[in-house]
Amino acid sequence: METPTTAQGTWLSAEEAGFLTAGPGRAAEAVLARLIDTGLVRVSRDGLVTAVHQTGHEATTSIEARMLGHARTAVRFDTIVQSTANSTEVADLYRHLFSRGLLQVPRRRSEARWFTLAVAGVLTVAGFVAPPFFAGVPIALCLFVLQYGRSPVTKAGKAALKHVTAHDRVHAVALHGFTGKVARQHVGELFELPQSVVKMIPPRSRKPRKRSTADGGGCGSASSSSSCGTTSSGCSSSSGSSCSGGSSCGGGGGGD
Amino acid sequence: MAGIKDLGVGIGWRSEIDLTVERLPGVDFVEVVAENLHIGHLPESVTLLLERGVPVLPHAVSLSLGSADQVDLHRVEHLGAVAEAVGAPMVSDHVCFVRAGGLDSGHLMPVPRTRDALDVLVANVKLAQRNLPVPLALENVAALLEWPDGELSEGQFLAELVERTDCWLLVDVANLYANARNIGTDPERFLDEIPLERLAYVHVAGGEQNGDIYHDTHAHAVLPEVLEVLDELCSRVAPPGVLLERDDNYPSDTEIAGELAAIRAVVNKHRG
Ligand SMILES: [Fe+2]
Repeated sequence: METPTTAQGTWLSAEEAGFLTAGPGRAAEAVLARLIDTGLVRVSRDGLVTAVHQTGHEATTSIEARMLGHARTAVRFDTIVQSTANSTEVADLYRHLFSRGLLQVPRRRSEARWFTLAVAGVLTVAGFVAPPFFAGVPIALCLFVLQYGRSPVTKAGKAALKHVTAHDRVHAVALHGFTGKVARQHVGELFELPQSVVKMIPPRSRKPRKRSTADGGGCGSASSSSSCGTTSSGCSSSSGSSCSGGSSCGGGGGGD
Repeated sequence: MAGIKDLGVGIGWRSEIDLTVERLPGVDFVEVVAENLHIGHLPESVTLLLERGVPVLPHAVSLSLGSADQVDLHRVEHLGAVAEAVGAPMVSDHVCFVRAGGLDSGHLMPVPRTRDALDVLVANVKLAQRNLPVPLALENVAALLEWPDGELSEGQFLAELVERTDCWLLVDVANLYANARNIGTDPERFLDEIPLERLAYVHVAGGEQNGDIYHDTHAHAVLPEVLEVLDELCSRVAPPGVLLERDDNYPSDTEIAGELAAIRAVVNKHRG
C-alpha cells in the first residue's frame, strides 16, 4: 500500500480513519458501512448481513473482500464486525498505519503519575535545602512522562484525522460508529438500520472510553478487540509494536 | 366472495430481505410463507407493512392437498390462524403433494392427472375449505415429470377442480413456462382451459436453464420468456395481482425493483 497525501496532509480512507479513531472494530464498522453503502451487502431486521448476489461491483480493499466473503452466508451484524476486527487483513491495516507513522507503540497511563510529579516537587524543594536532592528531580520527571502514557495515534495520525469529516455516511461510521450520532442523528439511521440491529454491537464497545479521550483517541472503542492504549506493555521502547505483536490492535490471532 | 379486489404488484416477503421489501417503491402487497410465521409473534416487518395498509397474503407449502392421506387439520388450522392474524382476504397452497406414506418429499410433487387423483384432491380441498376462515386459492406447480395414464390436461384438471370446489386459482407463469419447457405443456391451451374469472393472482419467478431442463429456482432473474407468458395471460384477463417470488441469492434492491417494474409494465400494457 502506498501513502497518498493531499495538500492538507495524509489522506485517509474510511477504514483507516476508523482505525485511527477507535481501533480495529471501528475500522471493521467502516468497512461494513461501505459495503452497505455500495449495495454489496444487505442487513435484515434480525441483524443478519448477507452478500448481495451478482451486483457487478467488487470489493476495493482486502478487508472488504474478507468481509464480503464472510457474508456469502448470513452472518450476524456484530459477529461480522468482530471477526473482521480480529482478521489478519485488519492486522495488516494496523501495520500499514504503523509504517506510515500514524500509529505508535502506546504506553499505559499510570494512576501513580501525579504521585510521581508530587515527588518531583518535593525533591525540588528539598534540593534547596540539600542540593543532592536535585539529582532525583529529572529522574522523577522522566518517570512522570512515562507514567503519563502515550496514545497509539501519533501526532501525524491525529493531524491526518483532523482532515476527516463525516461528509458522508461511511465516514460518519468511521468517526462515530454505527451507534454514534452525527448532527444529533443516530448514524445507524443514515443506513435506515433499526436500533435493534445497531445495538447488537456490545455496549462495552459502544461506550467511548474516557482513557481513549484522555490519550487523544485511537484504538479505544472498537467492538471486540480491546484498546491499543490499555494493554500494551508500558514503557517498552523496542522497535516491534506491542499491538502487532499479538496484543490488542487487531493483529493478534488472525482471522477466523 | 364476489371477486378478488385489485392487489397490484407484490413480492414474496422473506426475512432476509425484509428491510428491502419495506423500502422498495411500488410494493402493493406481499405474500408470506405461512409455515414460517408464528401466531402471536409476527415479524416486526410484517406488522409494519400491515400498519401501512399493505395486504399480506399467507401462502402455504405443506397442506399436501394431493396426498391420498387425509389433510393434516393442524396445518390447515395454522394457515387459517395466520390469515386471521394478518387480516388476509384469502390463503393459498399448491396443487401437489409433499407427503406420501409418512414420508416428506421436500418438494412440491405434481398430482397424477387422473379422475381418481382429482377425487382425492377435491375431497381434501373441500375439507381444508371447511376449516379455513377465508377462501383458498390453489397454485399450479412446476413438474419435472408427468405421471403415466393422465386423463386430463393440466388446464382441464384445474378447471374441474375449480368447478367442484369453488376454489380460486393462483397461476404461476414461471411454473407454466417450466412445464412448457420440461414436459411440453402448451401455455396458451392451459390459459384457454382454466376459468380465468376465478384467477386470484399470479406468481412470477426466476429460474435457470440447465441443459435441457429449466429449473424454477426462485434464485435467478426472471427470464423474458416468463414475462411473455405473463403477457399472454394479461392479454386474456386483467389479473387482480401479480407477485414476484424470490427465495435465494437475493440481488440488489435495484435489481428487485427492476423486476417489479418489468412486471408492472406488462400488466399496465394491457390496461390501456
Ligand atoms: Fe409460485
